[in-house]
Amino acid sequence: MNYRLVSGFETHVELATASKIFCGCSTKFGAKPNTHCCPVCTGQPGSLPVLNKKVVEYAIRAGLATHCTINAVTHLDRKNYSYPDLPKAYQISQYDRPLCEHGYIELDSGKRIGITRIHIEEDAGKLVHERGFTYIDYNRGGVPLIEIVSEPDISSPEEAREYVEKLQLIMRYIGVSDCKMQEGSMRCDVNVSLSQDGVMGTRTEIKNMNSVTFIERAIIYEAARQREILEGGGRVEQATLRFDEATGETYVMRTKEDAQDYRYFPEPDLLTVVIPQEKIDEIAAHMSELPVQKRARYLSLGISAQNANLLCRYRAVCDFFDACLKADAGARHAANLIVGTIYAALPTEEDKEAFALPFAAEEFAKLVKYVDGGKINFTLAQITLSEMLKKGGAVSDYIKEEDLAGISAGELESLCIQAVAANPAAAADYRAGKHKAIGSFFGYIKRATGGRADIKAAEQVLKRLLSD
Amino acid sequence: MAIEKQQLEHLARLANLEFGGEELEKFKEGFEEMVAFCDGINHAVAGDTSSIRGVDSRTIDFEDLREDTAQPSLAAEKVLSNGQSSNGYFTVRRVVK
Repeated sequence: MNYRLVSGFETHVELATASKIFCGCSTKFGAKPNTHCCPVCTGQPGSLPVLNKKVVEYAIRAGLATHCTINAVTHLDRKNYSYPDLPKAYQISQYDRPLCEHGYIELDSGKRIGITRIHIEEDAGKLVHERGFTYIDYNRGGVPLIEIVSEPDISSPEEAREYVEKLQLIMRYIGVSDCKMQEGSMRCDVNVSLSQDGVMGTRTEIKNMNSVTFIERAIIYEAARQREILEGGGRVEQATLRFDEATGETYVMRTKEDAQDYRYFPEPDLLTVVIPQEKIDEIAAHMSELPVQKRARYLSLGISAQNANLLCRYRAVCDFFDACLKADAGARHAANLIVGTIYAALPTEEDKEAFALPFAAEEFAKLVKYVDGGKINFTLAQITLSEMLKKGGAVSDYIKEEDLAGISAGELESLCIQAVAANPAAAADYRAGKHKAIGSFFGYIKRATGGRADIKAAEQVLKRLLSD
Repeated sequence: MAIEKQQLEHLARLANLEFGGEELEKFKEGFEEMVAFCDGINHAVAGDTSSIRGVDSRTIDFEDLREDTAQPSLAAEKVLSNGQSSNGYFTVRRVVK
């Protein structure tokens, strides 16, 4: 039998607005329980929702960034279910007329993962189950979400990872969400099925995944579990699953028999929203550069593909790098120093995402410009940068004016001659074919210049001198 | 309009309502009346619907939506005053096993 993995995603992204979707309560994460609540978001009788403009704007941005069509006339619907995380016993969401439809995200391979729709809705409260009780915090209730539904176009765990990472990066670039999976501001429901010789199989849905690594593992586990059932002649049962991070296994939350029947109907407390085309055009015109566009621009500046990828992974890094470029720093040296020296000092993903440095981009740009102008060599720039990362401060605290005279070609020539004269044994070794011996002269030149000489240029001079 | 007992049980479960056997029978009658009433509306408009205003006839322009500014919320004591609570959390009987 020929099995093929078929996977689609439903991704919830919390929008970074100041207030909730239907009331003025704060959306700030980490407050004391039930302190960001009012009659609207706790569902008190008689209270009425009022839609937040920014939620619609952010969702339009998300739609435009993923090549969606924006529906200029859109309304909200009630999704009914009874559970303690919803004080109204319904969630205000969108059913038949989502704000955005028919988009895609392109993977590096060129393959496109279709985006079926993006709709706006309110988040539910947070439940904690302990002993005989369920504890409820409604601070999260009413926080704006977009739900991004993909087509079942994902056919490997690697594609799943890339899809999630790309989506996360796009949302961060356009500034609609911080997409912190560990804090729950981005969560994925993952559908998994196996098609057999082109015939679609029964799918299961793994709920609420909040780590890219776990998503990959869950898909691998679930695909293997389904394969085993099918190969044993059994049938996969449609079910909602939870992934146990400790055991790396999926288990059943509910089967098709308990499937929800949401009885959607148009939300009578809210008006249908009409978005003029000029507004959509205006939002499109003010969109920040997307990851693909940024990467292309960096490549055009002569940065290696590897460095461009490493820079584009983090929005804060790009902001820093762009500020350096604005201060006239050379792109290649700046990229090399960021990806090499600065990344080494920021080991975790979170560190790089935050990119909190003890000096400004303009100060870093000064250092880069010294390298660009040949006033210091790259090694000295790396050493200086490492010190600046530890202690902060200005470049002038580390490199004095008198250090910046630079080494002229004539000076370099005479230094090389001195170096060869001072070490005749190494010169003989080099001439006898032991080319590694050239390193002995580098040490001499570095000491003599306090690290200011351009070693690559010195190497050229030395090779010429030694072959004469 | 006849409603199957099974349909009613399904709806009751979705709405988190519990009916005893007799109660359900009684409720079935009332429910059928309600559905018949709504059905009447369907029949009334089955012919010419041009005068009926649809969901999307009441609109709001994007610019008239609420500006995104956070306002003070209620005091937590007030929020919690109508329900059972512990340490600032609402509490209910555990909903998952």
